Amino acid sequence: MAISGARELDDLMQLDRSRRWRSAAFPYLAFAPALILIACVSFIPIGYAIVQSFFRSSTLQLGRFVGLRNYNDFFFTGDGFGSFENSLIFVAGTVVLAVPFGIALALVLNKPILFRGFFRVVLILPWLVSNLVGALLWAWIGNPQYGLVPYLLGKIGVTMPNIITDPTAAMASVIVASVWASTPLVMVFVLAALQSIPTDLIEAARMDGASPWRRLWRVTLPMIRNTTLMALVLTSLHAFKSVEIILVMTSGGPNGATETMATKIFHEAFTLIRIGVGSAGAVTIFVLNLLFTMAFVRVLKSEHGA
Amino acid sequence: MNAMRPKRKLRSIAGKAMTVIFLFLASVFAVAPILWAVLTSLKSPKEVALYPPTFFPQHLTFENYLGAVINNGTYLHYLWNTAVIVVAATVLCLICSAHAAHAVARFRFRGSSVLMFAMFSTVMIPGVAVVIPLYLLSVKAGIYDTVLVLILVYSAWLTPTLVWLLRGFVLVIPYELEEAARIDGYSRLGAFYRVTLPLLRPGLLAGAVLIFANIWNEFLLGYSLVQSETARVIQVGIYANLTEVGVQWSRLTAAAVTAMLPVMIIYAFLQKAFVQGLSTGAVKG
Repeated sequence: MAISGARELDDLMQLDRSRRWRSAAFPYLAFAPALILIACVSFIPIGYAIVQSFFRSSTLQLGRFVGLRNYNDFFFTGDGFGSFENSLIFVAGTVVLAVPFGIALALVLNKPILFRGFFRVVLILPWLVSNLVGALLWAWIGNPQYGLVPYLLGKIGVTMPNIITDPTAAMASVIVASVWASTPLVMVFVLAALQSIPTDLIEAARMDGASPWRRLWRVTLPMIRNTTLMALVLTSLHAFKSVEIILVMTSGGPNGATETMATKIFHEAFTLIRIGVGSAGAVTIFVLNLLFTMAFVRVLKSEHGA
Repeated sequence: MNAMRPKRKLRSIAGKAMTVIFLFLASVFAVAPILWAVLTSLKSPKEVALYPPTFFPQHLTFENYLGAVINNGTYLHYLWNTAVIVVAATVLCLICSAHAAHAVARFRFRGSSVLMFAMFSTVMIPGVAVVIPLYLLSVKAGIYDTVLVLILVYSAWLTPTLVWLLRGFVLVIPYELEEAARIDGYSRLGAFYRVTLPLLRPGLLAGAVLIFANIWNEFLLGYSLVQSETARVIQVGIYANLTEVGVQWSRLTAAAVTAMLPVMIIYAFLQKAFVQGLSTGAVKG
């Protein structure tokens, strides 16, 4: 309505030619600053990374063309497949724990319950803490020498494996920190979706004699399905590109056991100064991200059609 | 029937108890690291090195905050840098995205859907994929290692999200108001400034909170695009302390607690506006 309105108004006001031209150019001009900014930090760098990934350079100058050697170095010589596997474990661990946990919290917080306001505030706190600081707090609480968690576990007779030297414990510890950081977002998303479900729908199910479990599985969960999917995708993408948690807690160690693709790119570029190899990893992670997002959009669309 | 009643009641009480226990445990998980850091930051370094650890500080001390924050010029300088960057990037980002949001909400121009798609697709680009080229480009542009590069990169990074958010706000403002202003002789831009922009205030406020929290907590770009202490931001400053030999946890936790306070304070004050703003922007989007 507004759109046709704009044109009619131009006719109505009988604008002369130059004013009409200005009128047509207006939306482009209004859009231009945003577009230029975005082009400079997204389109151009991605293009540059693609070019760079085919060249061998350790300085700022583009070195010599090496074809696919950088990709070969990233994946085969540099154990990129191992880092990809670690990425999958890290992402899967985060999503499998954080998404059900966040949904459960949202379901409980959606009911009238004692101290609900207090719980809502407390449970959101991890979201407000930066990933870097969050990782630092977990590194401290799990510190093998002075940390609180090993001490408490020791008191009840459990020896906690050392999160710095034990590969499995190291991976578990970074997943715990990642779950801690990701759960609030899932919770907030799902809570918002739950509040938009019309209450008479649940009421109708109750009148029909559906048990609470049945109401949950047959009415509530299907209603929040798309939001849940959205939260799942955001959580996975976030974990996939996450650098800070692993960098601070384990720095990819011990012996590469927690080195994900994201931290490997970081180390290639800023520790080893292998710009080309790092760029090859960057292009790969970008393409994987793109494929994942496209698959998700497909799933959403097909469900709308069905 | 009557025999069923007490059983059902018992079950509902048990269910409620379970819920409260679940919430309590979840809260412990959420707060424990934060609380432990706060407690650590109030202990003396000697006490922190004790094993078994003490829970509450034996002697409450603020020496860590004095040493690591208040009397630490470098730390205060990092805070100042971050504040300058946040303010400048917020202003720049809001200006650019308000104009763009208005344009896409009000006019269907040739290529508008392509532009929107291209812009939103950049949200999916992971930061770690562009740090290397951004580093190289900023060196070539001569702005590497300055506050300016972070202002530009951060505002651009948040612009797509802000356009999406503000577009929802523009859509709920009646277009007739702008039309009326135009008949009164205002240009399109003039009508936008006079009529629509003031009504966008809640959206701009919600957007500002979003930008603030994101930039304040950002590490990766701040680490890769700035090297010297002159332009260093707070998260990178904390990381630099961590990688030093012989970490002093009492001082480090004091620095970390200070760094997370601003976002919590802003959120506490603007929570209502933020949540309301996000739902308006999202629902109408």
